[in-house]
Amino acid sequence: MNRLFINIALLILIWLPLQSCNSGNQSSDTRLIYWCSNNSYEIQFAKLETEKWNKNNSNISVKYQPVPEGRSSEEIILAAVVGKTTPDIYSNMWQGDVEAYAQAGVLVALDTLNGFMDFLSERCDSEVIEEIRSLDGHIYQIPWKINPIMLIYNEKMMADLGSSTPPQSYSDFFRFSAKFQKDVNGDGYVDRWFGYSEVLVTWWQRFFDFYPLYLAASGGAPLVKGDKAVFNNEYAIDVFKFLRMLYKKNYFSKEQLSARQDVFLSEIIATRFTGPWEIAHADKFKPKGFEYNFSSMPVPDDHKGPKYTYGDPKNIVIFKTCKKPQVAWEYVKTLIDRDGDLKLLELTNQLPRRKNINIDPYFGNYFNKNPKMKIFADQSKYVRGTDASPVLKEVFDLISQEYEACVIYGMKTPEQAVKDASDAVNLLFLK
Amino acid sequence: MITRKKILPYLLVSPYIVHFLLFVAFPVVFSIVLTFHKWNIIAPMEYTGLNNYVRLFNDKTFIKSMGNTLIFLVIHIPLQIIVALFLAEILNQKLKLRGVFRGAFFLPVIVSGVVVTILWQQLYGFDTGLFNRLLTGVGLSKVGWLTDPGIAMISIAVMATWKNVGLYIILFLVGLQTVPAQYYEAADLEGANHWQKFFKITLPMINPTIFMVVILSTIGGFSLFIEPYIMTGGGPLNSTVSAVLYIYKQGFFYYHMGYAATLGLFFAFIILAVVMIQKKFIEKDH
Repeated sequence: MNRLFINIALLILIWLPLQSCNSGNQSSDTRLIYWCSNNSYEIQFAKLETEKWNKNNSNISVKYQPVPEGRSSEEIILAAVVGKTTPDIYSNMWQGDVEAYAQAGVLVALDTLNGFMDFLSERCDSEVIEEIRSLDGHIYQIPWKINPIMLIYNEKMMADLGSSTPPQSYSDFFRFSAKFQKDVNGDGYVDRWFGYSEVLVTWWQRFFDFYPLYLAASGGAPLVKGDKAVFNNEYAIDVFKFLRMLYKKNYFSKEQLSARQDVFLSEIIATRFTGPWEIAHADKFKPKGFEYNFSSMPVPDDHKGPKYTYGDPKNIVIFKTCKKPQVAWEYVKTLIDRDGDLKLLELTNQLPRRKNINIDPYFGNYFNKNPKMKIFADQSKYVRGTDASPVLKEVFDLISQEYEACVIYGMKTPEQAVKDASDAVNLLFLK
Repeated sequence: MITRKKILPYLLVSPYIVHFLLFVAFPVVFSIVLTFHKWNIIAPMEYTGLNNYVRLFNDKTFIKSMGNTLIFLVIHIPLQIIVALFLAEILNQKLKLRGVFRGAFFLPVIVSGVVVTILWQQLYGFDTGLFNRLLTGVGLSKVGWLTDPGIAMISIAVMATWKNVGLYIILFLVGLQTVPAQYYEAADLEGANHWQKFFKITLPMINPTIFMVVILSTIGGFSLFIEPYIMTGGGPLNSTVSAVLYIYKQGFFYYHMGYAATLGLFFAFIILAVVMIQKKFIEKDH
């Protein structure tokens, strides 16, 4: 009797953990699993879209679920790939991650699916299609939404500086900064700066300073092409010079201000490089009478042509674990058709990566109600994502190391820092 | 015939054996295998021979991170011992509210490292931090506690000392209370002053405790991670990148698993060597 009891107990002990590994959310021939972002607005979007699909498609249903909680969605996806528990469809994939997954062979080559290229060409510019093309020539991601990085500015402070518009060029920026900078409490140290950007060396911080400024200056030039660094050029050097001067003259603070009360809304700084997510935050927390607006990134004085910026694109992918990739694509189409895009805008205030969205009358009503989002929509024609490279994080890390040495601490000339970063990236490709 | 009596002991130790094999033996063996491979988790492993080891000895940032860890240890360990011993001496006297003070000094030990780090980040702030306000209040210049590459690691060492000192105060208190009172009485009769008693009686008598504190601080110092990870991210100019932080970045930022395993293995041998040297000293002392 005792032995039987021990055996049963052991079996239960073994079975329980195994059972807990099985989420009960496996896809099948008749059901697709879709992981959306875990913010409440996107969950609402996924819910509505899925309900609509399931109503019209009784053969194959879709089950949506927010990406499981973790330190970051990137880590969760990585864990799912390793554990072969990926969903069929995942939205919110950072464009910079796709190449590594594509090379690992875990994503469906979408250009092999019926109707994909036709749909994509209708939705996106050829520039965007080329941008998302992987190094092997296939396309593994569907451009979904963007958050262009722009210059937010305090309108009243600009008016106090005698201007109705924010600085457009580097010279303007320096002039405004010099006038604005102040030692408010009189302790001999500047405590009001024209702008602020995180001084941390973390690779992705450069998406909010160096990279959008580089894209603006260069007209959207890449950092890497294939396995070669292509940023050792006048644009990168100009951007390093510009940013270095901001820190040298103390127009930007070297201190980490992010742990404090919002420095933009508390008027300690007048500008910041940021994305459209700032609108909801600012509208919620701004003091009475505080007015702000957005403008394109500053550019070198002799700049001509459009002012590009970084779009922080989040895209949709279909994993190879999907048993019905063609059906998955049919479902994804409903997320990104005009109706889906409008719903995304209305529910989440995030910008779909759709050509001419700023002039398409279908979205006009939304932009009339949300004029600040219209500024981002106007910018959306001139955004870039990231270059196709499986080692993009290392590339940005190497740039960030040189950025810190040159821009923040002035220990290298901009020319030397850009050259060293470029050489280090080329060395990385050789390894 | 195998009897139940013979099986039972094995059955009882089996959970530990399974745990050991799964979570200790397998990861160690797997890590050693990894050092000869390139692996980013999602793609299949690629055999690279000794490449990771060659890279390690040419990796300037790793060498710098080892140097940073050494700087941290050189500041942190003596500071920890001096402060802990000084406070333990005071708390060993018959003070009013002695229990409250002992509790207060121990409090940071049980507070989360992340919370302490964020708190000190505020104290170290250049413009609004309390320390710089105090300095400017008495007419001195502000200090870039976390932004000056020459000072940042010292700032982290001071914070780590504050966080851990309570534990070492307790250890020293135990050590101090084992010193027989008659030694001090004899010294008093001979006319010894306080310092003579401290250096001639207290210090030699608590030597084993000091060695224990050195070993514990060394091991704790080698694992420096949370403080630079949260406060500085390893900056400025890599001046606070500790060896563990660098290994973590290689493994979990860039998914260079083979290289991270190589760094980890190398670092484990360094720790082993240091602990062996310390052990020799202790044995010699005994």
